[in-house]
Amino acid sequence: MTSFRVGADIGGTFTDLVLLGQDGTLLTKKIPSTVEAYEEAIVDGLSSVFETAGLEPGQISEVLHGTTVASNAILEHKGARTGLITTKGFRDVLEIRTLRMPRLYDLHWEKPPPLVPRYLRLDVDERVNNRGEVERALDLDEVERVVQRLLDEQVETIAVCLINSYANGDHEWAIKGVIERLAPDLLHSISAEVLPEISEYQRTSTTVINAYVMPIVSRYLRQLSARLQGDGIKAPLLLMQSNGGLISAHVAERKPANIIESGPAGGVVGAQALARKLDLPDIITFDMGGTTAKASMVEDGEFTRSLDYQVGGGIMVGSRLMTGAGYHLKVPAIDLAEVGAGGGSVVWIDAGGSLQIGPQSAGAVPGPVCYGMGGEEPTVTDANVILGYLNPEFLVGGDLELQADKGRAVFQASIAEPMGLDLAHAAHGAHQIAISNMIRAIRAISSERGRDPRAYTLFAFGGNGPLFAAGMAKALGMTRIVVPPHPGLFSSFGLLYADVEHHYSRSMMQVLREAEPAALDGIWGGLEAEARAQLEADGYRPEQIEIRRTANMHYKGQIYELSVPAPNGDFSPEMVAELEERFGREHERTYGHRAGPEEPVMLVNAQLIGRAIPDHPGVPDQLKSGDTRADRAVNTRQAYFGPEVGWLEARVLSRADLDGERRGPLIIEEYDATCLVPPDAKVRRDGFGNIVIDLDYSTA
Amino acid sequence: MPKIEDPIEFELFKNAIFAIGDEMAVTICRTTYSGVLRDNMDFSTALADADGRMVAQGLTLPGHLGSIPAALAVVVERFKDDIGPGDMFIMNDPFDGGMHLPDIFIFQPLFHDGKRVAFAATISHHSDVGGRVPGSNASDSTEIYQEGLRIPPLKLFEGGRRNETMWLMIEKNVRIPIQVLGDLRAQMAACHIAETQFGELLERYGAEKVAAYMEEVIDYAERLTRAAVADLPDGQWSFEDWIDDDGIDLDRPIRLFVTVTKSGDEMVVDWTGSSEQVKGAINNSMSFTVAHSVAAIRSVLPLNIPSNEGVFRVIKVIAPPGTIANMVLPAACAARGLTGFRMGDCMFGALAMMLPDQVCAASDGGNTGVSIGGYDDDRKPYIYVDFSCGTHGGRPWADGLQGNSNMFANMASQSVEVIETEQPMQILSYEFIPDKAGPGKFRGGAPYRRDYKFLEREAVLQVRSDRRKIRPYGLYGGYPGKPSANFMNPQAENQPMESKLTMNILRGTVFRHELAGGGGWGDPLERDPDKVLADVRNELVSVEAALADYGVAVNTNPWSVDLAATETQRGKLSAGRPSETAKILWQEPVGVEV
Repeated sequence: MTSFRVGADIGGTFTDLVLLGQDGTLLTKKIPSTVEAYEEAIVDGLSSVFETAGLEPGQISEVLHGTTVASNAILEHKGARTGLITTKGFRDVLEIRTLRMPRLYDLHWEKPPPLVPRYLRLDVDERVNNRGEVERALDLDEVERVVQRLLDEQVETIAVCLINSYANGDHEWAIKGVIERLAPDLLHSISAEVLPEISEYQRTSTTVINAYVMPIVSRYLRQLSARLQGDGIKAPLLLMQSNGGLISAHVAERKPANIIESGPAGGVVGAQALARKLDLPDIITFDMGGTTAKASMVEDGEFTRSLDYQVGGGIMVGSRLMTGAGYHLKVPAIDLAEVGAGGGSVVWIDAGGSLQIGPQSAGAVPGPVCYGMGGEEPTVTDANVILGYLNPEFLVGGDLELQADKGRAVFQASIAEPMGLDLAHAAHGAHQIAISNMIRAIRAISSERGRDPRAYTLFAFGGNGPLFAAGMAKALGMTRIVVPPHPGLFSSFGLLYADVEHHYSRSMMQVLREAEPAALDGIWGGLEAEARAQLEADGYRPEQIEIRRTANMHYKGQIYELSVPAPNGDFSPEMVAELEERFGREHERTYGHRAGPEEPVMLVNAQLIGRAIPDHPGVPDQLKSGDTRADRAVNTRQAYFGPEVGWLEARVLSRADLDGERRGPLIIEEYDATCLVPPDAKVRRDGFGNIVIDLDYSTA
Repeated sequence: MPKIEDPIEFELFKNAIFAIGDEMAVTICRTTYSGVLRDNMDFSTALADADGRMVAQGLTLPGHLGSIPAALAVVVERFKDDIGPGDMFIMNDPFDGGMHLPDIFIFQPLFHDGKRVAFAATISHHSDVGGRVPGSNASDSTEIYQEGLRIPPLKLFEGGRRNETMWLMIEKNVRIPIQVLGDLRAQMAACHIAETQFGELLERYGAEKVAAYMEEVIDYAERLTRAAVADLPDGQWSFEDWIDDDGIDLDRPIRLFVTVTKSGDEMVVDWTGSSEQVKGAINNSMSFTVAHSVAAIRSVLPLNIPSNEGVFRVIKVIAPPGTIANMVLPAACAARGLTGFRMGDCMFGALAMMLPDQVCAASDGGNTGVSIGGYDDDRKPYIYVDFSCGTHGGRPWADGLQGNSNMFANMASQSVEVIETEQPMQILSYEFIPDKAGPGKFRGGAPYRRDYKFLEREAVLQVRSDRRKIRPYGLYGGYPGKPSANFMNPQAENQPMESKLTMNILRGTVFRHELAGGGGWGDPLERDPDKVLADVRNELVSVEAALADYGVAVNTNPWSVDLAATETQRGKLSAGRPSETAKILWQEPVGVEV
């Protein structure tokens, strides 16, 4: 019997399931999320797939899972009642944060409330200095009193973060001992374990987030495992981390901070794996849904990771300088830039007479005007229907009948007429402006980091990604676009490509050229031993383990670190010099200049990733879509391509119909997305089922 | 409607040109060396047209609004035809288009087919520009000549060739040249990024269209600003506030007086009536006064107005020369940030009279600057500069923010642990202080304290603080915040200190600064008792203050409000009050037990 791997991605609105058989059979299911108990949708969805396709639970070999359970707990302030123990004098580090606010000139801005209120933040009179020397010893009687006070307040979990504990965590371990003695079953997180890195606010915030979501994540994972087992699915459950690697449910329970941004990671991981197959080392991913568009970069076959980010930081408004909107989390995450533009984004005219898109969104309810569900504001989707890009009769793949005339009338009255433009031109303008907004996400991860997007291939997915991909690529001067199969479900499909991965880091904070090679060996060697032990505990053989070392550095006095690969194996003085040179080159590449040799380079963190390479590739090259639903149409439609080109007759077909190379204009309708091929582009389907679009600039 | 053929194309251009300003800002921020720049984001970037009119400012410091046009105007006027490809200009002289000496401007003219088409502009606060004291930010200098290196508009590069004389002069006159030269490189890198990306715009649209669109971007901002200003009520409002002193004449408070006139779609901000310029280094250049006046008004306008020349066409700012708001030679100005922040509070006071339900009470008065500098045993210099601010005034709809930057700075605090690895310093305390926020229906933000322990042999400690004598005002019945405070060795003799000071300190000295509390908004007797209870439980308000200031009786075990006792107490307190609610309060009203 064929065995199947399952990718399950829970979003706020929908839960997507993808089942992939060893023989390439692909089954998919999209069901509404069950917000009260997220595991319901997964379990029910699976049994419905089993029924339709005639599968047995025993055929499932692995369940890979991306979830927003943890981030939702933070965004909705529904985490556990958490206590925090800090060093005397530093009770308010969590609330004072970095002082910075994300918005200028806005008297209405509210600071996100601290996840632990002040009366549950208690301090102990102790002090360790920056060299790790104890200046004031911990008084265990005081610790007992403080822990007891929190227990009396009925906290469900305790976080501990003391000043300079990155240099010496003994006091935190001692407090942990007291907690375990007084309340053996109470969940807790100490910063020396969660994030032994310099900077008290970032460390406190990360430790608190870990503690705050731990009871919720732990409860959820246990319930999900129990329900799966109850249904006869005994396969291992693995969780997607924010950094793009998988961890077992058991490890995720202890370090839930690692799975906060698990949701959007799957798509990027899938794109990376597909790109490797296609021999494309450098790609930019573009994931556009109903409310937001996200971009990230894969370079030399590896995705780029940011060292920290803000949970619930909202949508990037043009620049990532303005921090402070969300909850700071310092764990590596796939570097995603996000803008508030999607199909539901509202189109409006500002007081200066300028056409604007978003950030307000009509969302799924009431949705665009043409959905006929009560939406009264024109949206990007309405514009796309007017332009003929989207099927005017039905929501593709769905049963919702569209009211295209209604959308046209509203767009005409509230946008086209006031702007003095004809309807098509105005709608095309909205489409173009949405593109120029979304370009900022791509610029943030490319040109702002010294990378020229023209050298990259664009991977487009998400419900709206394939519709805007050609326009995005054109505006950036990119020449090739790849739209993977099932673009609308790609976040869960991507899970199937991920590997088990563990990340480790250690604070160094020293001048690199003064570092003893032997000491560097000791640090990285220690991290490597930890990684190998964990992966072997996960059940992998030594030869399956791949280790990658990186060093985060900046010039002394700077604050933003750059990551460069560090040598595997023993350090020599030459290798230390080489590491410094690599940093100089990376600084020049990223920022266009580097300092002279007189300026010392600080080694801030030693980082290490341990990855397990499976014996067999998780995803076969050829997929057999088990999807029996017929795609709706093979016909033609009038589509508008701007004032210079005007209306053209575009062929409408399905992905399967795409044989040989064709020229645009062309519209490819699928169950979960629509792909637009403009007139000056060529399109084909490659051997892996991807749609490949090549833009031709010679005639432009 | 725009006088442009294709409004869509124009919108795309507008997005692109503001993205350039932002990308310049990202470049500076990520590559900067000095703590002042990286944490205080004390820099700005912009793109200007061929005549130096600002078209797009990057997302940067409000206090720099308008500084770039003033400086660029001097360069354009001075050099006229002598501006060529490969040139790069540098300047910092506050009496020649600059702000204060640490703020160094770098401008690069951009050319197309031999014709000047634009300027890339940056301004960064540098960690040291020489002068009497490390950090070049002494508040007790009395003339510009003490404050450091004065750079008139000059060419740092000419025709692509580096001006070595200039470069060496800077290197030899600043204490930590690695930082200063590194930060100048960061500014130049930002200009290069602008050059590349502006080049792409020229390629796409052609020079003629780019010029027309740049003009239209300015007109667009003007239209938006006029439309928003027209919606405000017409009239004239004045407000008066006082700075404690200039650190030299300690018993002489310094008057700030502003009159805001709104008529139709224009506004005039007039600082006539403000104090003459003072001896201490807190005098403003006109451009700095403009920046804070306009930034305050922007806070009551819609958020989507882009920052450029168009905004300044609508808001006129007046200040007589020779006053603290518009200094003339030889005024000292290094610590003029203080005056800027307080002008913000003063503007908010006037705007609160105009728009009673839209503006907050007084903040802590902006940041306190603490700098500790000297030489270690190897005679290597160190400079530690730390800015603290954190409380906003109560708002007509919510409490004032706390542990949050003043909005005119939007700075970040430095990590305590990073400070301890980089500086001969330990921070012993960084936490909120109870009972210092101004009570109100919506109270002011709670201030915090910061304790610095010095670990080297000997250093010069400099402190620039204020809001000691003249407290942050409360509005519409809200009480003022409690004053700021400085102490020496709080764990030992706890000696109270002046608000502005320069002194030698020795190893082991602990200096404590306490910020002022934000002013309250609305009568504290109208505050929701549950909010008072939460404040008491969080140890931000004591049980005693809850009763005295808010008339709320709190039971501590279990936590609850004693409703009957609260009603009695509130009745008693309100009986002792004047019948009319004071619009502005500098001291607790009569009848309050303190």
